[in-house]
Amino acid sequence: MKSYIKLTQAQLKLFARNRQVLFFSLVFPILLMLALGSFLGNGNDVRVRGMLVDEDNTAASQAMRQKLLANGAMTLETNASRTEALADLERGDVQLVVIVPRKYSENVQQRKATIDVFYDEKNATVSKIGVQVLQNAVDGISKSLSDYEPVVTVDAQPVTSLGLKYIDFLVPGIVAMMIMSSNLNGVAGQIASWRERGVLRRMQSTTLRVRTFIAAQITARLLLNGSQALIVLLLASAVFDTRVSGAWLLLVFYVVLGTLVFMSIGFIIAGLAKTPESAAPIAGFISFPLLFLGNIFFPVSNMPAFLQPVVHALPITHLAHALREVMNVGATMGMLWLDTVLLLGWLVVAFTVASFTFKWE
Amino acid sequence: MPSLVFTDRGAVTRPQPAFSADAIIRVERLLKRYGDFIAVNGISFNVKRGEVFGLLGPNGAGKTTTMEMIEGLRRPDGGTASVAGYDTRTQLTQVKAMIGVQLQSTSLFDLLTVREITELYASFYRESVPVLPLLDAMVLTDKLQSRVKNLSGGQKQRLAIALALVNDPLVVFLDEPTTGLDPQARRTLWDIILRLKQEGKTVILSTHYMDEAHILCDRICLIDQGEVIALDTPAQLIARLEADQTIEFFIPQFSTFSQPRQQQLHACFHQMSAVQSVTVRDDRFAIHTTHLQQSLTDLVHIAQQEAVAIEQLSTRTATLEDVFIQMTGRSLREG
Repeated sequence: MKSYIKLTQAQLKLFARNRQVLFFSLVFPILLMLALGSFLGNGNDVRVRGMLVDEDNTAASQAMRQKLLANGAMTLETNASRTEALADLERGDVQLVVIVPRKYSENVQQRKATIDVFYDEKNATVSKIGVQVLQNAVDGISKSLSDYEPVVTVDAQPVTSLGLKYIDFLVPGIVAMMIMSSNLNGVAGQIASWRERGVLRRMQSTTLRVRTFIAAQITARLLLNGSQALIVLLLASAVFDTRVSGAWLLLVFYVVLGTLVFMSIGFIIAGLAKTPESAAPIAGFISFPLLFLGNIFFPVSNMPAFLQPVVHALPITHLAHALREVMNVGATMGMLWLDTVLLLGWLVVAFTVASFTFKWE
Repeated sequence: MPSLVFTDRGAVTRPQPAFSADAIIRVERLLKRYGDFIAVNGISFNVKRGEVFGLLGPNGAGKTTTMEMIEGLRRPDGGTASVAGYDTRTQLTQVKAMIGVQLQSTSLFDLLTVREITELYASFYRESVPVLPLLDAMVLTDKLQSRVKNLSGGQKQRLAIALALVNDPLVVFLDEPTTGLDPQARRTLWDIILRLKQEGKTVILSTHYMDEAHILCDRICLIDQGEVIALDTPAQLIARLEADQTIEFFIPQFSTFSQPRQQQLHACFHQMSAVQSVTVRDDRFAIHTTHLQQSLTDLVHIAQQEAVAIEQLSTRTATLEDVFIQMTGRSLREG
């Protein structure tokens, strides 16, 4: 028992003192999450960027300008000339250019005023929203100028959906990624190097039992992965206001299951690699494509059809899915039976193979 | 240097099986093959309780393989080995509890401190000695908080020996502990090994340094190509040469002399008074003699008579190296 505790402590100290491990297991995933979350995290909000050129510069054109600027769905720059604005549009820097032409004020008096709108044809979705927003604003002004009394109005009632943004998709993916890389790459590299350098052999010549060694390894890595996951979840909650809808205990269960699966695979790689120098690249070669295929950054449904069966067989896909469903939807174990069964299957197979391929020297 | 401090063994009850008091290790016809290569070819010897037993031989002679089979780290392909009556194949757990091992190329967790790693290894055993006095005895007190990766070669080796002693073993295996160390660090290690002997430990030491074997070992087992070629005390091994002095000198370009001329000179040296053997390697002669003064007088005489230039003339007492060369025709340093 004391050797189990001492070994676990020793492994945790090794984690804490290895800057490379600290960076790749904690700093890198957090930076990745913060970066991706900030760029893509706003989900389905669409913002139109446009330019407003006021060539008339009268009270009437000022009123139009105020009305347009007050609209939250559109950001409008106002300091450019007509030529500058159109050049920006052609470069794709903005999606929309609104020009209030000269004599707008006079034309309003005569009730035949127009304003010119140029939009980016290639960015149709955003441009059309912009034109629509503009249309509404112009209608509003027309109606107020002509004392128009609407006969029918639309009464829009907002209903909040689950409100899932990309960040909600991303955070469980990051947790899954950390579990995969720190165990698969970490175990493979560390065990292969310990074996090569005779660290394992030296321990083998003591009365230390193999099962104590393995148990301590598992415990230390569970503690590591548990705290990694906790740090990421707390940080995501503080910065992006994400939340865990489901049971924390179930979340812990999948963190444990994922750790065991990827540790076993790491042990297999350590056992099969001829040299410690080859173990880490092999692990990287396996885990790197899984980052993109495995439901971490992109939904499985975005994958090409021929890859779908492969992707659905991968443990990382199911780990990410299970974590995501628990966090986002509050799924229960019963709803996630397929993920659970598949992960358990992977664990049984990988553990069996690992116990046959593992060697002390 | 502080003296070695170990637990008082009085209260410790460790299973003491029946085994003869004089042999704590028995090795019988040990055999190890790697494919077609026979690394250890039927080696047998006994190690007495409390002695420092040396395995001396060139690199690749089978020293490490022999030690690792006794330690239970390698499975022999034939023969048996036992420690304190426990068979290393069938009673390995008991054997491991009683031995301490320093492996030839061992590395430890680089990022742990000296104290942490010693405490870790102490936790692997049911019984262990207090860590701080042990590290003090290994001259590591100043390095308690240093990480393993920052230690010097000598400090790492002393730590490796500390770990081998952490379970207060009956037998300590030291596999080439001084290889690659500077002279100062070697001396420190020799002192430690001699203290182990004073403490009553049985030590099995492998080395390819003959001076080290001579100074440290009570008995030496000379091993070459997987076989025991001699086993005795250092003094007795040297006495086997029947010549306690060696004359060494150099004849420039001897190997370019004509064959009859070479043979003639060789014969002359052989016929000098008191000469036991004459060997020549790379123009360098070694003549073993039982009477230094007579042989030297004859040598000077022959040199004048035959008009050969003799350079770098020296005399010394015979060493284990001479024993090894005489028995195998090769030097210890050759692989």
